[in-house]
Amino acid sequence: MADPFSAYDVLAKRDTPSWNERTRDVIDKRLALAIAENVLGDTQLATLRVIVARVCPDPPDRPATNTLAMIVRKIAEDEGDGYRPHTLPRTAECWRRGLDAIEDEARLRFNCGFASIEPDQADEILYAVESGKMCSELWGNLSPELFWKWRLLPDLVSSHWAQPSLWSAMGFGGPASPRGYVRLTENRHDPWEASEDAATNSSHALSQDHEE
Amino acid sequence: MSGDITHRAAQWIAGGATLVAGSVLSDSAIEHYRGSFANKAMFLPLGASALSIVHDGNLAARGARTGAVGSWTSGTHAASVGVGAAGLGFHVYNIAKQPGGFSLGNFFYQAPIGAPAALVFAGALGAAAHALSSGASALGPVPLQSGRALAGFTALGLAGTAGEAALLHFRGAYHNPAMWLPVTIPPMAALALARTALTGRVHWVTTASLAATAALGLLGTAFHAYGVSRNMGGWKNWRQNLLAGPPVAAPPAFAGVAIAGLGALLLIRRFSRG
Amino acid sequence: MFTHDGWVPMRDYGEDAVDFVIVGTGAGGGTLACKLAEAGFSVIAMDAGAYWRPLEDFASDEQEQTKLYWTDDRIVDGDDPIHLGANNSGKAVGGSTVHYMMVSLRFRPEWFNSRTKLGYGADWPLEWREMWRYYREAEEALCISGPVRYPWGPQRPRYPYRAHPLNAPARYLARGAEKLGIAWSETPIATLSAPRGKAHPCVYRGFCASGCTTNAKQSVLNTWLPRALAAGAEIRDLAMAGRVETKNGRATGVHYFRNGQWRFQCARNVVVAGYAIETPRLLLNSSSSEFPDGLANSSGMVGKNLMVHLNQSVFGYSGDEIRSYKAPPSLALTEHWNYEDRGKDYHGGWCYMAPGPLPADWARTVSAKGKWGAGLLEEMSRYNHAVGLKMVGEVLPYERNRVSLSEQTDRYGLPIARVTFGFGDNERAMRTHALDFMDRALDAVGVTERWRNEEETAHLMGTARMGEDPATSVVNADCRSWDIPNLWVCDGSVFPTSGGVNPSLTIQALACRTGDRIAELAARGEL
Ligand SMILES: Cc1cc2nc3c(=O)[nH]c(=O)nc-3n(C[C@H](O)[C@H](O)[C@H](O)COP(=O)(O)OP(=O)(O)OC[C@H]3O[C@@H](n4cnc5c(N)ncnc54)[C@H](O)[C@@H]3O)c2cc1C
Ligand code: SF4
Repeated sequence: MADPFSAYDVLAKRDTPSWNERTRDVIDKRLALAIAENVLGDTQLATLRVIVARVCPDPPDRPATNTLAMIVRKIAEDEGDGYRPHTLPRTAECWRRGLDAIEDEARLRFNCGFASIEPDQADEILYAVESGKMCSELWGNLSPELFWKWRLLPDLVSSHWAQPSLWSAMGFGGPASPRGYVRLTENRHDPWEASEDAATNSSHALSQDHEE
Repeated sequence: MSGDITHRAAQWIAGGATLVAGSVLSDSAIEHYRGSFANKAMFLPLGASALSIVHDGNLAARGARTGAVGSWTSGTHAASVGVGAAGLGFHVYNIAKQPGGFSLGNFFYQAPIGAPAALVFAGALGAAAHALSSGASALGPVPLQSGRALAGFTALGLAGTAGEAALLHFRGAYHNPAMWLPVTIPPMAALALARTALTGRVHWVTTASLAATAALGLLGTAFHAYGVSRNMGGWKNWRQNLLAGPPVAAPPAFAGVAIAGLGALLLIRRFSRG
Repeated sequence: MFTHDGWVPMRDYGEDAVDFVIVGTGAGGGTLACKLAEAGFSVIAMDAGAYWRPLEDFASDEQEQTKLYWTDDRIVDGDDPIHLGANNSGKAVGGSTVHYMMVSLRFRPEWFNSRTKLGYGADWPLEWREMWRYYREAEEALCISGPVRYPWGPQRPRYPYRAHPLNAPARYLARGAEKLGIAWSETPIATLSAPRGKAHPCVYRGFCASGCTTNAKQSVLNTWLPRALAAGAEIRDLAMAGRVETKNGRATGVHYFRNGQWRFQCARNVVVAGYAIETPRLLLNSSSSEFPDGLANSSGMVGKNLMVHLNQSVFGYSGDEIRSYKAPPSLALTEHWNYEDRGKDYHGGWCYMAPGPLPADWARTVSAKGKWGAGLLEEMSRYNHAVGLKMVGEVLPYERNRVSLSEQTDRYGLPIARVTFGFGDNERAMRTHALDFMDRALDAVGVTERWRNEEETAHLMGTARMGEDPATSVVNADCRSWDIPNLWVCDGSVFPTSGGVNPSLTIQALACRTGDRIAELAARGEL
C-alpha cells in the first residue's frame, strides 16, 4: 500500500508551537512504554502479539508502534471504559479468557499454537471470533462476538491510532496546541500540515474555491 | 507661491497613496498567503501595490516639481486601478459561489471587498498626486486644482474604510471598547470632509478629525499587534496568529486616506483664500 | 485557570451545615452553584472528578484525555445497549461540559408541551416563554458564538459573539442543504470567536472532545464556576457522594468519600446533579427504612424513562481534501426536521451536523463496519477525504428504558448502575428517515462510497422527570422533589422528553430558573 503522506512525520512538529509541554510529556512516555512483565503468561502474550499484528498492522516504512505495550498496560491496570455488557467480565479477565480461548481454538483447528500458525490461518480464526463461530469450550459464557466487538477491536484500534506513526500515515495534523489551524476550507491546509503526495491525490474537486 | 502649495498638496496625497498601497501590499501578501496563492492572479495586487509605493513614495519624499507625467508612472497607476477593479470583481464572484452566497458569514470570512477597493483608491490617488505635481489642472475629466473633487473622493474612501472596520469589528463582537474608535472618528471625518467638498470651506473640525483619523491609523496598528498577542500562544505562535488575529497591516490605510484628505484641504484652503 | 500556574482563592466551609450541598458540578450542578452563591446562600458543590486547569493539565491527545470521562464500571443491557464513557459522561469539575462539543441549541417551543400540542411524550410543567428568558441568560453566560439570524423558531436576540468561519465538513453540509432546498445555519456554539476576558478565542485545533487547552470552550468549568467561587461557593473535587442521609422525611446531608475515607457533609438542602445515570443511582442507593424504594421515589419513576439521542451518521469520501480534524465539529447544522412535521411517519424531531472525528474515534467508526487488518490500514489512509453528517434525534420516553442497581459493586462498595435501553418503532422509523435524508444530502455534493453508522447514541435524559403530578413524576417545575421538600434534582435527568437538540443549554437554562425560584421561595420562607 502506498503511503500517501511519505514526506510527513508528525513527530517533526514536537518542538514547534503545535505541541505543548504536557503533550510532549505524554507522547514521550507513550513511545517509551515497555511491555509490562508478569501481566500475561508467555503464551497469552505471544497470542496477543499476533492478534495485534493481524488486526492492526504497522504502516510500512514507519517507525514500529507500541500498541501491544499499551494493551498490556490496560490489562495490567484493569482499566475500564465506563460500560460493559453484563455478560462481559472486566477488562483484564475478559482479555485473559479471550486470549486463552483463541489459543485453544488454534490448537483445535490446526493442532498448533496461535502464535505459530500461518497468517491466513490466524485470520481465519479471527474471522471466526468476529462472527461467533467458535468451537473451544474455553469460551464458556464469554460470547466471542461480544468479546470482539466490545473489547478486542475497540481496544486495539484505539491504542493503535494513538501512535504517531499512524497519525503520520493518515495525514492527521497531530497535537495542536497552542497552535491550531488557520486554513479550514476544503483543499487548503496550513504549511504545518501534511501534504498529500500528488500521485495519490484524486482531486476531482467538488469546488475550486479560492479563499483569498 | 500657489505652485508651492499645489506641490505640497501633491506630496501629501502621494504620501497618503503610499500608505494605502503599503497597507494593501502587506495585507494582500498575508491574506493571499492564507489563500496559499491558489490562483496565480493572487500575486498581481502585490506587484501593483509595490509599484505604486515606489512611484508615490518617491514623489512624497522627493518633493521637486516634475514635468509631464511619465508613461511608466501613469502605467503604474492604471495597473493599480485595473488590478484593484479586477480583484473587486473576482472577490464578489467568489463570495457569490460560497455556500450561503451573499451572507454575513461570507462577508466576514471570505475574500474581502474592501482590500481590492483600497488598491483602486491608492492607484487613483497616486495618479492625482502625479498629475498635480506636473501642473496638470485635471485628471481626465476630473478637475484637480480646486481640491474639492479630491476631498470628495477621499471622503468616500474614508467611509468605505470605516465600513470595512465596522464589518470586521462586528465580527469580533466589539469585545474591546477600543474597537468602537475606527467606526466613530473616521466617519465623522468623512462627513466633515464631504461637507468641505460641497461647500469649499474648511472648518477646523475637518482638519482635526482628519488628523485624529491619521493618528488612529497608527495607534490601530499597535492595538492590532496587541490583539495578535491575545490569541493562544501569542506572538510565539505568529504563523497562526498573524493570520488569525486582527490584521496588523489594515489600520495604516486609515492614516493614508486621512493624509490624502489633508492634502486636499491644502488645495481648498488656497482657493478659498483666493 | 486562565493563566499558567495561576491560583484562585476559595472559601472552605468545613463540614458544618451549609444551605446547599450540590452533588455534581456539571451543566446542572455547576450552574446552580453559581446562581445560589450569587443569591447569597452558602454552597458546597462536590464532584467525584478532579479540578483541572486546562492550560497546563490538558494534552492534545485523545488517549491521555480519557481522564475526563466517567470510566467507573456500569453495566449496559437491553435490546440496544448504549455506549457510555467518553461518548456520554464526564467525571470532572465542570462535568461533561469539559469535553462536550458545545452545540448550544434551544428547544422548539412546542416540545415543552409535546403531549398536548404534538400528541406524543409528556408535557413539561413549564412555559416556553419563561424558558426563552432563561435560555438567554445561559447564552450570555457562555458568550455563545452564533449566526446573526437564526432560521428556525421564534425570534431570538442576537448571540453575544459572531459565528465562526465554516470548516470543510460544515461547507459540505451547507451545500447539501442548499441542493435539497432546506435551510441551514452556522451552529450557535459555546466557543469564543473573539477574546473574552483572559480567555483566548478558538484556535480551531479540533480536540474539543478531549478538552479544550485554550479556554476558548465555554464550559461550566470556566464560566459558571469562577463566578460561583467569586460569590463564595466552595468546590470540593475528588469527592464521591455515596448516600444522601435522611431523617424525619428531610435530607440532612451527604456521605462522601474523599482522601481515602468516608465523610459526612451536613446541609439544609441537598441537590443531586450527577446526570441521568448517577443521579438515579444515588437516589436508589440512599434507600432507608423510611424510603425503602430509594429517595424521592414514591411514584416509582426514579430511574425510569431513560432517554438518549439518536446520534447515527452517514459517512463517505470526497475527491476534495476535507481534513475534518480541524475546528470544532458541528460548525453548521440544519434544524429543518425539528420544525417540519409534514412527511414524517413518526413522532419527534431531529437535526444534523457536520462531525469531525479524531483518529482513534475514526478508527473505531471504520472498524465497526467490519474492517480490520490491511483493509483497515488502507481505509484509514483516506481519513483526510472522509466527510459525513451526524444526527441528533429525539427518543421517546419509555418506562422500560431505565437505570437500576446491579448486584455488582464498585471500588467504594456501592452497587453500580445497570442501564437498560432499547429503541422503539418510533426511533427506528426516525432513524430510517434521517439516514436516508443525510445520505441524499451527501450524494448531492458528490460524496461517494457512503455507509451508515446505525448504532451510535448520545446524551442522557430522563430518570428523574419533572411534572405536574406527584404520582407520575419525581420533581416539580422547580426541580424540587415531591417527596422530600429539601431534596432537589438539577441536571439532565429531569427532562420529561428529550427534544431533537443537544441538551446542555436547556439544562443550564433550567438550572438558572431553579436558582431564581429557590431564591424566591426562600424570600417567602417556603424552603
Ligand atoms: C462527548 C460529548 C459531547 C457533547 N456535546 C454536547 C453538545 O455539543 N451540546 C450539548 O448541549 N450537550 C453536549 N453533550 C452533553 C452535555 O455535556 C451533557 O448533557 C451535560 O453536561 C449534562 O449535564 P449534567 O449536569 O446533567 O451532568 P454532567 O455535566 O455530566 O455533570 C455531572 C457531574 O456529576 C458528577 N457526579 C456524578 N455522580 C457523582 C457522585 N455520586 N458524587 C460526586 N460527583 C458525582 C460527575 O463527576 C460529573 O462531573 C455532550 C456530551 C459528551 C460526553
Ligand atoms: S477547536 Fe476551539 S474549542 Fe475546540 S478545543 Fe480547540 S480551541 Fe478549544
